[in-house]
Amino acid sequence: MKIVRAQLRQFRNHDCTELDFGMTTNALLGDNGHGKTNILEALSFLCLTKSFYASSDAIVLQQGKDFFELRGTLLSDVGVEHDVRIVYESQTNHKKVFIDGKEPATFSSVIGQFPIVVLSPENSNITFGTPSDRRRFMDLVVAQSSRVYVEDVLEYRKALRQRNKILSDISRNGGSSALLEPWNETLVLHGSKVLLKRVRFFEEFAPYIMRAYAAIAHELETPQVEYVPNVETAPHDSPDVVGERFKAKLEEKKRDELRIGSTLVGPHRDEVAFSLNGLQLRAYASQGQHKTFLVALKVAEFFYLKERCAETPVVLLDDVFTELDGTRSQKLIALIESLGQTFITTTSEHVFHETIHWDDGRRRFTIHNGAAVQHDHEAAA
Amino acid sequence: MRYTSESVEQLVEEFAQLPGIGKKTAQRLALFILKLPREKVVTFAQALINIKDKVRYCSICSNITESDPCYICSSPKRTRGIICVVEEPRDVMAIEKTNEFHGLYHVLGGALSPLDNIGPEDLKVKELLARITDDIEEIILAMNPNVEGEATTIYLSRLLKPLSVKVTRIARGLPIGGDLEFADEATLSRALEGRIAL
Repeated sequence: MKIVRAQLRQFRNHDCTELDFGMTTNALLGDNGHGKTNILEALSFLCLTKSFYASSDAIVLQQGKDFFELRGTLLSDVGVEHDVRIVYESQTNHKKVFIDGKEPATFSSVIGQFPIVVLSPENSNITFGTPSDRRRFMDLVVAQSSRVYVEDVLEYRKALRQRNKILSDISRNGGSSALLEPWNETLVLHGSKVLLKRVRFFEEFAPYIMRAYAAIAHELETPQVEYVPNVETAPHDSPDVVGERFKAKLEEKKRDELRIGSTLVGPHRDEVAFSLNGLQLRAYASQGQHKTFLVALKVAEFFYLKERCAETPVVLLDDVFTELDGTRSQKLIALIESLGQTFITTTSEHVFHETIHWDDGRRRFTIHNGAAVQHDHEAAA
Repeated sequence: MRYTSESVEQLVEEFAQLPGIGKKTAQRLALFILKLPREKVVTFAQALINIKDKVRYCSICSNITESDPCYICSSPKRTRGIICVVEEPRDVMAIEKTNEFHGLYHVLGGALSPLDNIGPEDLKVKELLARITDDIEEIILAMNPNVEGEATTIYLSRLLKPLSVKVTRIARGLPIGGDLEFADEATLSRALEGRIAL
């Protein structure tokens, strides 16, 4: 997939910005605070219907304005153009998405149609942060590759919220735990599906990480990724078998759950373990190893989605080169440029190798005060 | 005041409170009513009052009705041994349209949802249990295919099974007349899960 063109209206600090992109590398240059990342965020909206960054739609609206509008022309690998339009109105707090003029049934049904891979400074949480940061990373990859997974996770979360409400009511006011019964089964039903999908995903994903890490790292190190479920699950288990274990575990933790007032068993509390040469990344890795691991995860995500979605993901790199040293940066740029379309924000053009040739496919834009200017000599080319 | 007539403004406000009706539609509806002959408007207004005055809940199945018991519960043509349990009166209307079901109904008045503070005691569950006698052969559970509907199905099936009555649930799957390729992924995957041996 390629993003041919994007228009931003009243989106963050962009009042009215139009960009015609190059088909390989697009450098978004400029000082901090002028709106480079905002453009990446707009691209994320066009592909996923939401930001990779902001928690709500209202946040990205320009101050004092009552709506924002984004338009994009997206070109699929087989050469079909799609027109994506997103409009948000603050008065109704309502967002509308149009793909080729038609509204999709749900926002979640769009996820995966236009796959993207984002690497931004916040992503360092994936290796440094909490289990929930790692689950969020995993969920976005699996969601983009399986629409059924999106539905399963949404239903699981709904069942979880309902069940937690009963638990918190009982822990506060007392009451019969018999009310939990139907919700246990609903939780187990959807939870087992989520568990199996995740465990199977990591089984498939592991070789991608190995290859990606080998392509980027200086040293000969072996990375491992492993999903650590709190309900024992193996890739080839049947949903019923996992469900039985899930139920047994719920029974085991029942007293604690009633005391604490929330659900302690299930995929919402699982961990994703990263390690290098058998040593846990969080505890033992150096800063450099963390960075290499993160980039490897993203490169693996790229190849995984490319195969799974049968569509080449667009890569958004937000200010990542302040984090990486020169060799690693250029290795990454070279690797990704050979594969698809990339959008790179940076304050310093020096991250690009001096021999890089800016032409029609590789374009530079300077972003200043919420406006974008494409560098002249390339526009003419 | 935005309108030159207080009566128009009042009607617009009233319409705008209806679900799915915005200000502009409300305005169009109000002006449409204004153009109708008086007797049409009287009939319309009377219909509104009637549903408040005449419609109540059937003491047997809890469906909406004007006569108690409702015409389904009192019909001699219905098979009395089968009860189809649904969430809302509109579900009865939907199933009735099929003309395929000739048993009786039971309307729960919703589905279990702790977040909305709806527990078993807020639904017509006791009333359902009271209807189960030796003459009842089968209970069909026809809840909505969402998390709340599922939990309600599980809850009821647990309650009903010890009463030695056959309990079934409606199948979920693909819409008729549609091609497989047009089904959304979630529906298709459910249909695969619910496959049956031939």
